[in-house]
Amino acid sequence: MSNQVNENGVSRRNVLKGAAIGGIGLAAGGTLLSSCGSDAADGPVTFTARTNDETGLKIAQALADAYTAETGNEVTMQGSGDTNAFQDGISQYLQGTPDDAFQWMAGFRTNFRADQGLLVDVSENIANLGDQMPEGFISGATNPSDGKQYIIPTTWYPWGLHYRKSTMLELGLDPENIATWDDFMKLLEGTKAKGLIGYAMGDKGGWEAMGTFSILNVRMNGYDYHIDLLNGRAKWTDQETIDVFNQFALLIPYMNENFLDISWDGMRDLLLQKKCGAMMMGSWWANDFLAKSQEDYDDLWIVPFPEINPAFGRDSIDAPVDGLCAAVNGTNPAGGAAFAEWCGSENGMLAAQAAGDTSLYANTRLDTSGYDAFNKQKLAVIGEAKNVMNFLDRDCRNDFAGTIVGPAIQNFLKAPQDVNKIVDGMQAAWDALPPLS
Amino acid sequence: MTTTAVGPKTRRRRAFSRGDRFTLAMFIGIPSFLHFVWVWIPALLTIGLSFTFWNGVQLSNIRWAGLANYETIFTASPQFYDALRNNIYWLLWFSFIATPLGVLLAYQIDRRIRGHKIYESVYYIPVVLSLAVIGIIWRFMLGPAGLVQVLLGRPGIEEALPIFGNYDINTYVILSIASWRHIGYIMLLYLAGLKAVDPTLREAAAIDGATEWQTFRKVVLPAMKPVNIIIIVITVIESLRAFDLIYIIYGTSTGWPILGMLVFTNIYGQAASMLGAAYAVILFLLSITPIVFYLRTVFQDDKP
Repeated sequence: MSNQVNENGVSRRNVLKGAAIGGIGLAAGGTLLSSCGSDAADGPVTFTARTNDETGLKIAQALADAYTAETGNEVTMQGSGDTNAFQDGISQYLQGTPDDAFQWMAGFRTNFRADQGLLVDVSENIANLGDQMPEGFISGATNPSDGKQYIIPTTWYPWGLHYRKSTMLELGLDPENIATWDDFMKLLEGTKAKGLIGYAMGDKGGWEAMGTFSILNVRMNGYDYHIDLLNGRAKWTDQETIDVFNQFALLIPYMNENFLDISWDGMRDLLLQKKCGAMMMGSWWANDFLAKSQEDYDDLWIVPFPEINPAFGRDSIDAPVDGLCAAVNGTNPAGGAAFAEWCGSENGMLAAQAAGDTSLYANTRLDTSGYDAFNKQKLAVIGEAKNVMNFLDRDCRNDFAGTIVGPAIQNFLKAPQDVNKIVDGMQAAWDALPPLS
Repeated sequence: MTTTAVGPKTRRRRAFSRGDRFTLAMFIGIPSFLHFVWVWIPALLTIGLSFTFWNGVQLSNIRWAGLANYETIFTASPQFYDALRNNIYWLLWFSFIATPLGVLLAYQIDRRIRGHKIYESVYYIPVVLSLAVIGIIWRFMLGPAGLVQVLLGRPGIEEALPIFGNYDINTYVILSIASWRHIGYIMLLYLAGLKAVDPTLREAAAIDGATEWQTFRKVVLPAMKPVNIIIIVITVIESLRAFDLIYIIYGTSTGWPILGMLVFTNIYGQAASMLGAAYAVILFLLSITPIVFYLRTVFQDDKP
């Protein structure tokens, strides 16, 4: 049903082949396409930033300004107003009068809208980037249903255990060397014993705890099982999945009690204010640490989630790819695609970096030796993993992840003893899903 | 309702002049047309869509689903019964606590108890605020690092008392917040009604030796019938249509599910499917049934 999701390991080869064929097709038959590549891409461009926080908007504005300076095409940038509302309303937004380009996320969220004809095919723009764009990102951005790309990858980030080096030093703990679950438990115990929160959690948004669920699932049952589960080939009622929930329950005693009252930004603040030990999260908010102070940023560190089942070690990680899409219904879609392409180019990334973006860039030209220590560590954390996932709500149907999995995990955290009832409900909801169209 | 305008057949119809007809056509025709276009057509379309599978983007993707969406809601939607339960709590709380309190306040203020002007203002102020604004106010007050948390001696995020995410108390907290506004609203409506009650009725009751409670129950309440109907209808509608407060406090994660929220998350968000339309139809039927039933009994009583 929903093999639509990017399954990196499985389909990478085919996808690359498909992309190559598509590229030839474009080159051979496409006088029209190739001619509009640069000419029609001119003119003013409108651009929506997905984030709405100060740091994010500053970076987005810097991208717009630098593009205008380089090409003479004026870019009007606006914030999304509210990130969650923007994400929720994306289909309606794209059917209305959207901006030409907008920041978005790879995976199901892009591919589904591409299949609905709402996004501009940017395969040609990706081809223009040539060897600047690493192959892994091209396959990650490829829509399995037609082998084309609809998003220009720009940045990505790993999900891992974040902590502050200074806090751990004070506690006399060493997160660098947690290899096994037992080590991890000792770390949490040690943090809790000192009166800090062992495992910071904020699941008010309903998606934050998905990161913990996913990592536990790939650690215990492996990447293939996880992707099968999210695509209906394995069942939520399997003993494997129930075991994952039960393992999750072991972490609850180390969480802050108000985990359903705070969201991801509450978690970030817990870490920022040195109130917690470990925090499982993607590192995109590291910019906020840097915005606070260089000292806070330098204190931040990330390590991979520990091994649980030696058969799988630490071979998988959630490392979502973000980028820019162009809207078919924009007033200048070709201009939007060209702007997206530029943001994915070396110059675009340098502009973002200069504006304070600490992300990992999806561009081979960007010298990783220039990365700061935290970014090098992020790269190392991703590099250690063989399988890269896009995060649960990008690897799975949107009408299941947000409406069923999110509330189910919240219910589980409230009452872990109800796990059987909860997984029964999830499986029933999956079985009742209409065909994906 | 408009049916009251239809008089007995024996009454002679008044002849309308051309100008009257024109005015009438404008005053009735234009609003009716707009109402039909903006309310009834979307409502009928929603009912139709609730029998389909569709993600809300390409019209060509609509497929007939029969009753499948309803079946999914009743048998395979873990949140449906939670939401229904919360809506029923809301209805019961409003019916038995908030609305009677509003009526009581109105009655006391109407009796001009000492300081009634102050009470009137104090209880009326929240009514000027929309529930969305009320949600924002109380989220700030009760949330981590909010005023109430500071007063409780828990100013830090890490020690903030769980309130909205605490399932032992959050139902009461939310319903109290909603009542904050509802009580004032009912008070105002009832006060307006009480002012219209002929004071001689009460005097007569007092002379006949009726107690305060007897006067209220046997004299004032029956005299207030039209207002009572409005208040009951408002109480039911406010309880079932609840959405804004919950959306502001919990976002789309449905931390405290209600039917209005399920309509929204299933029809609007990235998860758009016509399950949302089916939820909307269920909510519509739940809202309309008690009201139609109630109005029917009330107007049947009116017949001689």
